[in-house]
Amino acid sequence: MKVRFWGVRGSIPVPGRTTNRYGGNTSCVEVRPRHEPPIIIDAGTGIRRLGKSLMEQEFGDGKGSASILISHTHWDHVQGLPFFAPLYRSGNQVHIFARQRDMHLEAVFSQQHQGPYFPVPFTELQAEMRFHELIEGAKFDIGSAKITCAQLNHPWVAIAYRVEIDRAAVVYCSDTAPFTDLLLGRDFVEKPVMGTLPPPVRHELDVMRAGVIALAKNADLLIYDTHFTPEEYAVRPHWGHSRPSDAIDIARAAKVKQLCLFHHAPMRSDDENDKILAAARASAEDVSIVSAYEGLELPLGDQ
Amino acid sequence: MKIKFWGVRGSIPAPGPETNRYGGNTSCVSVHTDDGKLLIIDMGTGLMHLGNTLMAGAFGKGEGRAAILLSHTHWDHIQGLNFFAPVFVAGNQLTVWGPGGSPSVLEDILEGQMDPNFSPLQTLRNFSASFDVRAATCGGTGFEANGVHVTAREHPHGATRALAFRIEDRGRSFVYASDVGYPDSGPPASAIALYQGADVLLHDSTYRPADQATRRGRGFSSYEDACAAAIAAKVKTLVPFHYDQDYTDDDVDEIIAACKKLVGPHGIEVVPAREGDELSV
Repeated sequence: MKVRFWGVRGSIPVPGRTTNRYGGNTSCVEVRPRHEPPIIIDAGTGIRRLGKSLMEQEFGDGKGSASILISHTHWDHVQGLPFFAPLYRSGNQVHIFARQRDMHLEAVFSQQHQGPYFPVPFTELQAEMRFHELIEGAKFDIGSAKITCAQLNHPWVAIAYRVEIDRAAVVYCSDTAPFTDLLLGRDFVEKPVMGTLPPPVRHELDVMRAGVIALAKNADLLIYDTHFTPEEYAVRPHWGHSRPSDAIDIARAAKVKQLCLFHHAPMRSDDENDKILAAARASAEDVSIVSAYEGLELPLGDQ
Repeated sequence: MKIKFWGVRGSIPAPGPETNRYGGNTSCVSVHTDDGKLLIIDMGTGLMHLGNTLMAGAFGKGEGRAAILLSHTHWDHIQGLNFFAPVFVAGNQLTVWGPGGSPSVLEDILEGQMDPNFSPLQTLRNFSASFDVRAATCGGTGFEANGVHVTAREHPHGATRALAFRIEDRGRSFVYASDVGYPDSGPPASAIALYQGADVLLHDSTYRPADQATRRGRGFSSYEDACAAAIAAKVKTLVPFHYDQDYTDDDVDEIIAACKKLVGPHGIEVVPAREGDELSV
């Protein structure tokens, strides 16, 4: 398989000269098995260009099939979907997988297309769309790819995915806070209270961390949320994002072959991202580390 | 007054080296009047960068005050709001003047963007600043937004409508007319009346005529439509705006050159909307 990065940014797209090298589009990663249709992870603005590229292949003839795994539905992970060209060609099939919400997933996604916000309603999309609601610990197959999930520590809950095919495994672990200081869920946290955690909360975080390590066990590639520097995390632990040191901790515990820093903060310049990568490498010589940029393609397993 | 461009792109932010010169952020323009009042027009991703700049002044101390004129609520005109730093500082006062005629309906639409499925903010009520939503009055003698005189008009925009605004300050006038698709007969007399004699007309120039021809139902102007409106209304300066997300800087260069050729003979100056540029009126 090949893993290709189309959007590597967190929170909001950031065009401009200071983001040319890493890219300013929000989260979107393409997993391309050798002989099977693409499995796309997250639908941030990066999915617009991926869609154009797919239209040059069988999707342009209305004969394409794609699966999109959604980590969670915060804007930066879904806002590119209305601009995903294969949706506007009849005959294409698009399967969307995401965690079950209070409303049915189709209702959640159709909100983005409603009249006040977007000119083309969901009902006028040409492709055949199917929604697959996931529950905790879901395991399923997409073709011959094996997909497993784990829960993450993020406001309103996000999930991590492991995709195994072509004798390789890639794990996508964004967005999550570390599993040490706060348990994030449905409540809005205006100002976090730090201190000793009550034992049930401590236990829940330990279980979550163990779940993520099990998901990433021996993976060829672990893509991990490293939105924050340590200084930024200290001020905003309740935003649900990690530091490079958290990613390295999980990468070591899971014995992954390569770690990829991902979900770069919007105001982070290319030069700052270079420094963060260099510092991460210097702090963990035992871990192979890369930093995600738009256009990066990593071959894994059978080619 | 001083007009500054923070986002000039249509539909969706377009990052990449090929949009570096004109900019890839979605619609946002600021207007500072000579006596220091602030109006913001539209809340695309450019709004985040305006907000970060404003935080160095009164907005950083919770003493800022601005009116936000909202043309319509398509994503590319509201998606910067969650990232506008001044809303997180208590004491700041922001008033949104938008379309639809009903403040509660407009507030519900903006709330939809904050829904916990989509935003960690969960609701507009988690803003620390005062955030007041009002319906802009269309036509008539206009209204006062943050002490500045504004007239609004509803334009057709595909299946929906978008507001155009005329701002008057000390005898000078600036018209913002983005996201407008005129009927085949061209701009109606009432639109030309709003633009009439403006010192600056910022106008939707999303498409080249050939691209517009295949996308008529989307409700956007070509640069030719913008030029025709500028000529008919005898404005002094035309600012092409809201470039299609797929156009590179070189494409926009061509659009600007074509505009100059069309309106130059009528004594109209063309100033391209370019992120970071400021225009004194």
